[in-house]
Amino acid sequence: MEVRGPLIRFGLLEELLNLARANSLWPMTFGLACCAIEMMATTAARFDLARFGAEVFRPSPRQCDFMIVSGTITRKIAPVVRTLYEQMASPKWVVAFGNCAISGGPFVFENQYNIIEGVDKIIPVDVYVPGCPPRPEALIEALLKLQEKLTGVRRFPVPERRW
Amino acid sequence: MVAERVVKDLQALGVDLEEVPYERRGYCFDGRVQREGILGVAEAFDQHGYFIEDVLCVDFVNELELVYHFNHWEDPRRFSIRVRVKPSDPEVPSISSVYPGAGWHEREIHEFFGVRFKGHPNLAFLFLHPEIEAYPLRKGHVPIPEEDRKVLEGRQPEGEEESFWINMGPQHPSTHGVLRLLLKMRGEFIEEIEPILGYMHRMQEKMAEVRTYIQYYPNTARLDYVGPLAFSMCFVGALERCCGVEVPERAQMIRLITLELNRIASHLLWLGTYLLDLGAATPYFFAFDDREAILDILEGLTGSRLTYCYYRIGGVYEDLNDGFLQKVEEFIGRMRKRLKDYDELVTGNAIFIGRTRGVGVLPKEMARRFGVTGPNLRASGVGYDVRISEPYAGYRIFGPEIAVRGGCDCYDRYLVRLDEIRRSLDLLEKAIRRVPEGPSRAERIPKKPPEGDVYFATESPRGEVGIYIVSDGSDRPYRLKWRSPSFSNFVSFTELGRGMLIADAVATLGSLDLVVPEMDR
Repeated sequence: MEVRGPLIRFGLLEELLNLARANSLWPMTFGLACCAIEMMATTAARFDLARFGAEVFRPSPRQCDFMIVSGTITRKIAPVVRTLYEQMASPKWVVAFGNCAISGGPFVFENQYNIIEGVDKIIPVDVYVPGCPPRPEALIEALLKLQEKLTGVRRFPVPERRW
Repeated sequence: MVAERVVKDLQALGVDLEEVPYERRGYCFDGRVQREGILGVAEAFDQHGYFIEDVLCVDFVNELELVYHFNHWEDPRRFSIRVRVKPSDPEVPSISSVYPGAGWHEREIHEFFGVRFKGHPNLAFLFLHPEIEAYPLRKGHVPIPEEDRKVLEGRQPEGEEESFWINMGPQHPSTHGVLRLLLKMRGEFIEEIEPILGYMHRMQEKMAEVRTYIQYYPNTARLDYVGPLAFSMCFVGALERCCGVEVPERAQMIRLITLELNRIASHLLWLGTYLLDLGAATPYFFAFDDREAILDILEGLTGSRLTYCYYRIGGVYEDLNDGFLQKVEEFIGRMRKRLKDYDELVTGNAIFIGRTRGVGVLPKEMARRFGVTGPNLRASGVGYDVRISEPYAGYRIFGPEIAVRGGCDCYDRYLVRLDEIRRSLDLLEKAIRRVPEGPSRAERIPKKPPEGDVYFATESPRGEVGIYIVSDGSDRPYRLKWRSPSFSNFVSFTELGRGMLIADAVATLGSLDLVVPEMDR
């Protein structure tokens, strides 16, 4: 799915704005299933998403910058997810958190009648986080990736491979 | 005993009753009745104080079988009452006038199987999407007929002069997931509650029929992701029961320890989020910190943080690792200290008491008619716990002490859960000293369960989880039905919430400790 950028661009100002945006991304309080528990764990004491400027979970889509789709998209919830996305003010981003949001995860079988196999069928997705459910560290990594997408610079060095 | 008295009454009503071996089937009495007689049967059970456990349907292609499970708090011997109808004329009298809780199960059966319940007030869509073409759980393709579709599309909420409808959910921070309630309001007060479920209906029961037992097993942990081990235990236990597998004692004890750890983790999560709903942010961080300590221990043993797949038929996947028991012991010490903090921070807090004491009073009698179980029931003064009434895993060796409170309100539900954490810690302390040596897995495990049906119940942090499996002797279940505790607990809210302030509805809904995917299955 393609999203068109703004009609007028301001060069350097845009870069500055993006730097500001990247450092205070506000996610939406919207949990769907199992992955939502890991999303909550990420905001809690041990993993502390606040360190990366993204602790302000907003229940209203109009105040949010990005949406973490944390769970299975059923046929009944799909229009709701889509509406919530449309209610968000641009610029906006989406993280597909967990296998269900990526492709339907473990709930896909032949002739299934109730789930949408992947949230990218209804809204555009910026970062995919695999796992069932992904660990909280994975959500932090997703946030860093999103910040990288905005500013073009990775904020923290990529951890060294040790295997 | 109550069971003998009710047996006499049922025989007088013309029920073909038979005693069956509990060790193999999971229920004690198996009865058959003509469809006209089911209302009388329900009344007889009601008079003797039975609660409705579950109503389910099995499609035998040429016949549809409805199974009603009744159980008693003081005399927990399960009755399984069956009614058979022809698919060409699937009409059964509704028992929702006697047991309103059963009405919700009937509504589910109606949309999944097409059984019509005569006298049911509302048979509209509850779980399914209105675009569905055929009954999902029927064998073969059975399209929904026009007249039934009209019933399913049901009544639309109508506006009346002094009342209005308000929509709560599916994206609402205090419904914990994707629950939607239509509330008919008169000013600040709720007049009527119309729940719309199924936003997280993930076809668990259909999937079980498509996959083999082993292929389906990992998904049991995704039903209730807050206390997944109770669900895994239920599935594994049911297969062990019908195959007659003996589980080694060491495995039983490992199961007990992991189940109790999981229970504490679940209650902590509830505590944090419930208080967050009521406006207290600090306990959330405390509770999650303690929960992480449990997850560390369980992750070391099972390999995952949330959706465990650790039990196996006949035992557990891996034996205890080094230092596991010591870590549990350290955790017990840490948690006991932490509980004092919770007491100081929350239990005596004037705002918390003001928002919860006397709010959401769930009387015993209402709990019985809706089939409420778990801590919610124990806060209404009933000491019913599956760990005691039908001991499984290590609870056969020593059972827990049950925490009971009689206040029936949100505050007591909070206290019961806090008490349960304490009792679980005591139980864990006893258990880690008595883990016997030996194998952690049975040697011989049959590949397929024998033909027949089996029921198995466990006590999850939310109440009684039940599984009913009908096997045709193949490697796939013919029908698998979950009795989810959150569903039974939640439907009581439709009566409980009537006449309540909308702000109290949030406090009450939170205190019931709902997990939506488990409710929607």
